[in-house]
Amino acid sequence: MHAARPSAAKRNCDVLVCRDWTETPRFVHSRVPFRHRGAAAGVAIAVYLRGRAAFGDDAVTEPAIRPTPLWLVAQLAPSPEIAYGESVARLGLRWQLTPLLYSFGTNRRLSPWRIGVVEPLVRQSGSVELFLSPEYLVRGPTFWDGWLWRTGLRTYLPIVERGDYLSVSFGASCYEFAGRAGASYEIGAYVLFGIVGAQITFSPRSGPAQTIATLRLRYF
Amino acid sequence: MTVRFSKSIRSLVLVASVALVVGCTRLGSQTTRPFFEPLAHDVPGAAGARLSVLWIGHATMLIQIDDKWILTDPFLVRTMGQIQRRVSPVGLDVDRLPTIDAVLISHMHFDHLSLGSLERIERRVRRLFVPEGGLVYVTDFAFDARELRAWRCFEENGLRITAVPVDHDGGRYGLDSAWMTKSATGYVVEYHGLSFYFGGDTAYDQREFLRTRRLFPHLDLALLPIAPIHPRDHMRTLHMDPDEALDALSDLGARTMIPMHFDTLVAGTDAPGEARELLTVRARARGMVDRVDLLRIGERRVVVPMAK
Repeated sequence: MHAARPSAAKRNCDVLVCRDWTETPRFVHSRVPFRHRGAAAGVAIAVYLRGRAAFGDDAVTEPAIRPTPLWLVAQLAPSPEIAYGESVARLGLRWQLTPLLYSFGTNRRLSPWRIGVVEPLVRQSGSVELFLSPEYLVRGPTFWDGWLWRTGLRTYLPIVERGDYLSVSFGASCYEFAGRAGASYEIGAYVLFGIVGAQITFSPRSGPAQTIATLRLRYF
Repeated sequence: MTVRFSKSIRSLVLVASVALVVGCTRLGSQTTRPFFEPLAHDVPGAAGARLSVLWIGHATMLIQIDDKWILTDPFLVRTMGQIQRRVSPVGLDVDRLPTIDAVLISHMHFDHLSLGSLERIERRVRRLFVPEGGLVYVTDFAFDARELRAWRCFEENGLRITAVPVDHDGGRYGLDSAWMTKSATGYVVEYHGLSFYFGGDTAYDQREFLRTRRLFPHLDLALLPIAPIHPRDHMRTLHMDPDEALDALSDLGARTMIPMHFDTLVAGTDAPGEARELLTVRARARGMVDRVDLLRIGERRVVVPMAK
């Protein structure tokens, strides 16, 4: 029943590198996805402890993610927001940086860690990120009075299409604003691969910025 | 610049946020009048066929090769990238899909790697293959997902799948194209002496087509993209037009070509049906009509019948 035609690939096996995957797997891991080797040392330990790298993958390519000029420009684009407190609403802008992210949604054979540069799906498919958010609220007589500095942890959960189409987030942060420090809690929802979203940040003890609504615009 | 609002501002912002989310997700659930009506049939398999192909739409082909089933670039949902709706319905009831031995993903673009589509068929898939570096965009599924680098192959129980180079963009979100330079591929599948080529999405690259032919000189079938065509100056670097697809068919030396990647999404500035008409005209002009099998979405073709 089967044709007797010889396999072309077998006659060219000096060119083709073929392998039966049912054999004992061989561990081949390529580059670590981040360039900051020093800072990565702690991350590497965490990766080891989590045991993801223990998979016997024959061909697993860690993405060679790196900051590019376009990425840098994308990080400079702010998200507009409105802060409400003390019966006054103020317009503002928020920037968001991710020094460190752990993804529990990405493929289990790959490193779950990212530093700085994060692919949208790696974030939106389920992750916990450490974030830094400088914010500027139009307030006070001088330019420097309006800056709010925030850092915290945020977790993303995928809802539709593994988070590509819809995901939500919950987070907590601490901030420094107008000489006062405090804690904030936040929720968010995101569509279009995380590019567009809405975040509500609530700071119980912050008078002028008690509630902040942010139209989150973020690309990578 | 300080603005005063009433106390209801928080409620308004919350409502606006919910409306934004609901509105955007609704985009994915709207139906549309199809440009191209698919053919309806019940059973995807072809009795008495050793090699048969069913075009489900776009680059999604269900290939039966003896007792094995291969599915290429499954795009089985209504929208691509949450925004663009398909102009033709899916050419097969997904519930009628058989157990798929291998899903081949050619690259990471939303119309080729559709995570929603993979969710729909997750329990029916044994293995999935992606090009080098593509695993990052295949979140954890129940099936086994593997990378195949160019000229590497997977072989199991006589089914051999080889990744072959093509010329296309490998990124998914734009910016990642900077590092996903090898994340687009074609595949050659061999089983029981039969073989076919799946081009995924590619520009015309004669060198790679000829290299593929040297290694696989007896291809029974080539599944080749023929659109989008226009604007040609831009599309030429990423996509073949019908004429170039015929060139690729000649380069590959395959016996038969089945075109794909048209009539499913609005792409480029092509008019509806333009790629199909142009391919018909060019194949006739070049005397290649007998080597081109133009399917309608949902149509099945027996490429190699069972010997009597």
